[in-house]
Amino acid sequence: MTLTAIEAQEVWKQFKIPHERRSTILENIAGILSVFDDRRYSHEQFWALKDVSFRLEDGDSIGIVGPNGSGKSTLLKLIARTMKPDRGSIKYNGSVAPILELGIGFQGDITVKENALIYGIILGIPRTQLKKRLASILEFAGLTRFQDAKLKNLSTGMTVRLGFSIAIESNPDIFLVDEALAVGDMEFQQKCLDKFREFKKEGKSIVLVSHSMNLVNDFCEKTLYLSNGETRAFGPSIEVTQRYIADMQTPRPTYRNVNRQP
Amino acid sequence: MVILTLVFSILLRVNIPNYAAWVLLGLLVWRFFAIGTSQALGCILGNPSLVTKVYLPRYIIVLSSNIATLMGSALEFLILLPLLVILGVTLTPYAFLIAPILALEFLLIFALSLSLSSLNVKYRDFYQIWDITLQLGFWVSPIVYDPNIIPSRYQFLYYLNPLTRLIDSTRNIFLLNAAPSLFDIPVVIAGTGILLLIGFLIFRRLESRMAEEL
Repeated sequence: MTLTAIEAQEVWKQFKIPHERRSTILENIAGILSVFDDRRYSHEQFWALKDVSFRLEDGDSIGIVGPNGSGKSTLLKLIARTMKPDRGSIKYNGSVAPILELGIGFQGDITVKENALIYGIILGIPRTQLKKRLASILEFAGLTRFQDAKLKNLSTGMTVRLGFSIAIESNPDIFLVDEALAVGDMEFQQKCLDKFREFKKEGKSIVLVSHSMNLVNDFCEKTLYLSNGETRAFGPSIEVTQRYIADMQTPRPTYRNVNRQP
Repeated sequence: MVILTLVFSILLRVNIPNYAAWVLLGLLVWRFFAIGTSQALGCILGNPSLVTKVYLPRYIIVLSSNIATLMGSALEFLILLPLLVILGVTLTPYAFLIAPILALEFLLIFALSLSLSSLNVKYRDFYQIWDITLQLGFWVSPIVYDPNIIPSRYQFLYYLNPLTRLIDSTRNIFLLNAAPSLFDIPVVIAGTGILLLIGFLIFRRLESRMAEEL
């Protein structure tokens, strides 16, 4: 029996669209007092994810596709555990790279080397391992020459390369990628893709959010197609991406936007 | 600090021996508290990416802000030591008791920081509210005046302020060369424990929707 890497069961996520912004205590008190004033505090419910379920076998990778605002990033945030689902659950088998954006916690005023250490610790890499691997991290990022330069003097691409190099060093079982491949020059992109292939060979899973169908087909066995927060399709990548492309080519989507509630 | 000493010792003729050292010790404890809590207050709001983009236990953000203040206060204390000697304070082994006192104060600050930093995400005017509370706190703590001027029937209320007891204890070990009162420290420990519990409960409750509120 194969193990399950990620299993999402009937995940719902709700956001509130307030009609009246109330973010201070003063406003809250004023709000309570104005109840009689017929200006009741109200908000619309917006379900960003509706009943999304999927199962990912260990070693398989999943692509998440869909138009803007369909809930892809929300789902990725739930998988990364920075947000909690309102209903349903997501179970894991193995460690998840706790990262959605490269270069969190980078400080411009300290050196590249120091940033690498801080960032690695944020990602949960033990300090001793980090120190040992520092040279190879910088080597992979192509920044060995600049290790004592201040980070703010580096180009954007260099910064992202550094972030990525440390992120892959955290060596998770499940790797979350949100458009991170779009940055960096062609040579570095190629390096990243090679690294991902290596990951896959080691039996690790990748969750890839992308608008590039080629990339999804290339890396992911399974693809989840989201639209308006609902699962439109889930299955082998080739079939799902073809369906997505077909949907995009028809002027109006063929599905109806039903306001589903749990 | 110089101004406070001048105003209170010369103009108001405070009857406290070695008033300068007395005030400096009070200010050390107070500054640690005031800076620690007000810096931690904004630490989550100021680092949204650490909450929304990375998964890590979020109390660590608060803890790291508190540790930064602790380092600052420890340095202040090291500068204060020679100053105390110049002001004629004789240092005894009791001085080492400053370490547990500051550690206890650290826990107190951490407890309040947990509540404050998470509430500040939900209610953005907490910053102003805490600012005013601190200004009030300065005058309801025995920093520049003798706590004995408080009428005895209000003394009980006055000593509910854990900082009062911490400041008293600090002055005990440096100026009176005596151990802190055996009553003061357990009371502060108990109060800190309760505040820590409240802090963790509030933090846990607000943490689950923190990423959406930022």
